[in-house]
Amino acid sequence: MNAVSATDADAATLGTVLGTLETVILGKPEQIRLCLACLLARGHLLIEDVPGVGKTTLAHALAHVLGLAWQRVQFTSDLLPADIIGVSIFDRASQRFNFRQGPIFTQLLLADEVNRASPRTQSALLEAMEERQVSADGTTYPLPEPFFVVATQNPHEQLGTFALPESQLDRFLMRVRLGYPDAAHERELLRGGERRELLSRIAPALSAAAVLRVQRAVRAMHVADALLDYTQALIARTRERSDLKLGLSPRAGQGLLRAAQAWAYLAARPAVLPEDVQAVLPAVVAHRLERRDPAGAGDGDALGREIIRAVPVPP
Amino acid sequence: MAAAPSADSEPLQPLAWACAAFAGGALLNLDRVPAWTAATTLLLIAWRLTTERSRARLPGSVARALLALAVVAVVLLRFHTLNGLAAGTALLMLMSALKLLETRARRDQFVLVGAGLFLLLSACLDRQSLVRVPLYALQAWLSCSALAVVASAGFGGRAALRLAGRALLFALPLAVLLFLFFPRLPGAFWALQRGGEAQTGLSDTMSPGSIAKLVASYDPAFRVQFAGRAPPAEELYWRGPVLHEFDGHTWRRTSGAFHPRQRLQYLGTPYRYRVALEPTRLRWWFALDTPAQSPDASVLLTYDNQLLGTEPLTQPISFDAVSYTRTRALEPLGALARQQDTTLPPGANPRSAALAQTLRQRADSDADFVQATLGYLHTGGFEYTLTPEPLGADPVDDFLFNTRAGFCGHYASAFVALMRAASVPARVVTGYLGGEWNPIGGYFVVRQSDAHAWAEVWLQGRGWTRIDPTAVVAPERLRRGVFDLLPDALSAPERLLRASAWLTRALQRWDAANAWWSDHVVKFDYSAQLDLLGRLGIRSPDVRYLGWAFVLALFGWLAIIAWHIGRSARPASPDTLARAYARLCHKLERIGPPRAPHQGPLSFAETVTAQRPELRGSVHALLARYAQLRYGPAAPAATRTRDVEAFRRAVARLSLSRAAGG
Repeated sequence: MNAVSATDADAATLGTVLGTLETVILGKPEQIRLCLACLLARGHLLIEDVPGVGKTTLAHALAHVLGLAWQRVQFTSDLLPADIIGVSIFDRASQRFNFRQGPIFTQLLLADEVNRASPRTQSALLEAMEERQVSADGTTYPLPEPFFVVATQNPHEQLGTFALPESQLDRFLMRVRLGYPDAAHERELLRGGERRELLSRIAPALSAAAVLRVQRAVRAMHVADALLDYTQALIARTRERSDLKLGLSPRAGQGLLRAAQAWAYLAARPAVLPEDVQAVLPAVVAHRLERRDPAGAGDGDALGREIIRAVPVPP
Repeated sequence: MAAAPSADSEPLQPLAWACAAFAGGALLNLDRVPAWTAATTLLLIAWRLTTERSRARLPGSVARALLALAVVAVVLLRFHTLNGLAAGTALLMLMSALKLLETRARRDQFVLVGAGLFLLLSACLDRQSLVRVPLYALQAWLSCSALAVVASAGFGGRAALRLAGRALLFALPLAVLLFLFFPRLPGAFWALQRGGEAQTGLSDTMSPGSIAKLVASYDPAFRVQFAGRAPPAEELYWRGPVLHEFDGHTWRRTSGAFHPRQRLQYLGTPYRYRVALEPTRLRWWFALDTPAQSPDASVLLTYDNQLLGTEPLTQPISFDAVSYTRTRALEPLGALARQQDTTLPPGANPRSAALAQTLRQRADSDADFVQATLGYLHTGGFEYTLTPEPLGADPVDDFLFNTRAGFCGHYASAFVALMRAASVPARVVTGYLGGEWNPIGGYFVVRQSDAHAWAEVWLQGRGWTRIDPTAVVAPERLRRGVFDLLPDALSAPERLLRASAWLTRALQRWDAANAWWSDHVVKFDYSAQLDLLGRLGIRSPDVRYLGWAFVLALFGWLAIIAWHIGRSARPASPDTLARAYARLCHKLERIGPPRAPHQGPLSFAETVTAQRPELRGSVHALLARYAQLRYGPAAPAATRTRDVEAFRRAVARLSLSRAAGG
């Protein structure tokens, strides 16, 4: 099996993947493309929205269509780290401890309502996300490849939730909001019945191996010096602005560039263009930038657009 | 726990720079303020820098207020005023030093730098010699660099020095323009009270040894440039205070005496010359022997041929005069004047009085008596020295009969005393003798070391006649300076300077530069400005027009600077590809919507083709080509150059028409 480079077939298949996803989540092609780009850039994804707009459905659909093994964990306040990572159990027969792997040992983990878990549990999950491995009883267990976390959270639910701190939010490459569908798609939604039934009928378009191939191709996407100049100017802009609590971290900058590479790959371009950076920037900075003055208008996406407008593309 | 407000967050560098700028200003005023003021200031600066390092606490507001009050009290006690240059400078220096106690934020550091600049200004008010100019320039540079460092934390010392140097160079033409054309007010603008400062030069008293003290100073007293031929060296007697009253020890000017000036017949060559006086803080204006008339309305030509100003000389000044070295009185000496100039303290110096009477009896006339007295001095074994032994209770007797060694003051004093003892009217004249010819500047420089005293005797039929008893004892003194006669009078380094011809020449050059500076820069006043404007063809300058011309020049220069700064701020010259792209965008903007600065090539292509779908083929392809060239994988250099050139030509060829329905 040729695992070194992505073939044209892989690129063509991605078109099919997008098409399939659009039949499940109606009227959100932009968000779907962002989610896919996020995963292809080896990034974890945070979907934030009110209940019932299809967060979980989208996550399911992604796992299905990419042909990945997936697990779902519903986060609650009494969820323990061991419930995710796994436990060591004493086996009488062999007179020793056996590690029973938790749900995290999968290729796509859907962490529902991640902000409802205690900080301890959140932290265990986020550590695994960064390290791509799990340590238990002094033994290190690598997680499968590829490994994604798609987490969802409800921003309006305040009671009994633990908001993720900035350091942990930084580990998600993108934050995507779905939002309500427009009238035409809502009508179609109402007419079409339960969307989750569709999920079972989705045929996997890719495989784990193909996903890894595409990821490698994304990382090889050409980035010109001129584009690095522009990206740096954008990052610098977030640090210059005095009305922001924090500028983008170097990790965020790396993520921005990788996401832009994935976006350019999805657009079948030979190289990354400023337009690609602009396309992913709002989603990449949305959960990282925060105004000092909370009353300031606009959410994270609006901030991202402000920054794009403030930085000219050099000729 | 609350963090300390400043110590943690603020680096030492801006504070150190601000302190340096302030210390520089303080050092420039070192010679004006008392030593303890400067010491306190410098100590406070050092203390503040160490507290910054050790993060110690600064004193509270009550302590600071008490300290400020104490400083005001101390300055008042010392100067009896807060006004005036010395007191004002001391107060400014101490108060700014106290500001260090509350220097926390950037604003306070600006105040410190401002104090440094203000101290520079106060130093410039009356210390304007050429040698200080580099110091002032350095202080301006240091302060401006400190401003740069304080203003933006990221500035390194080197970058700040570069920036400030460049800014000052830019400002230089403006400063020259301001200097030349800014409307000057006639008269003394700075009516400053200058109290408690040392006076230099001759005073209006003379006691044994007082001139010898002056001779140790190498400072120039004035410079003289003759319009025509200069008098011979033995005629270069520069008249200063003329002394009449003698108490047996000290000669004084008569206070309040007023006699009408005698009519004189001037003999010999008239000498026309210009004198540039250094500020002495005294009222005498020095002129060659007998000036014919007063050079200035504010100067009185007295009955004893002295020039006496109404105000002490606080600034360098120049005047033109005409003098004669030989005169004849056309009127007899008045009784009052005769009495004044024949009076001796009763009972003092009996032996010299006896000597004078003996000599007078032997002589036929006053003139013979003068010659006899000079002969006595010539043959009496007298010695010319700068370091005579101290004299006793009857100084003239002691000098004539015991020590027989002295300086010009001793001889003049003894000679006049002898004259008076024989009832011959005589007076002591103090001033300067000779001067050093500066071949570079074409002038004589007369130094404090040329200070001299001689005598004037009233002779029947001739009037007041100059007699220099020193010349009899040390005839060389007439032709050469004191230092040639008495090399011991010089300090070792000065001797060394004079020993080398090359160094002498260098010193003369330096003195000529000083003279030029003083004549053309320091003394550039209202009338000199009118002269300059006249030479430029502006005959009757209206101050308003001058103001307008100045404003125009100012804005013109600022525009040039702004253009220059703007040019350096622009990005480095764009490459061919960028220029071609800019040209393409420009062409497209003429027929459609403008490109937003943040728009990339592809999204701009979308914007354009949304309005002009028929351009999809040409424009879209061109913009995609640009994107490929700019952001695509790098091609080999030769290929790339060719592709860029092709793109440029394609852009040049592109002709777009305004669509009717666009």
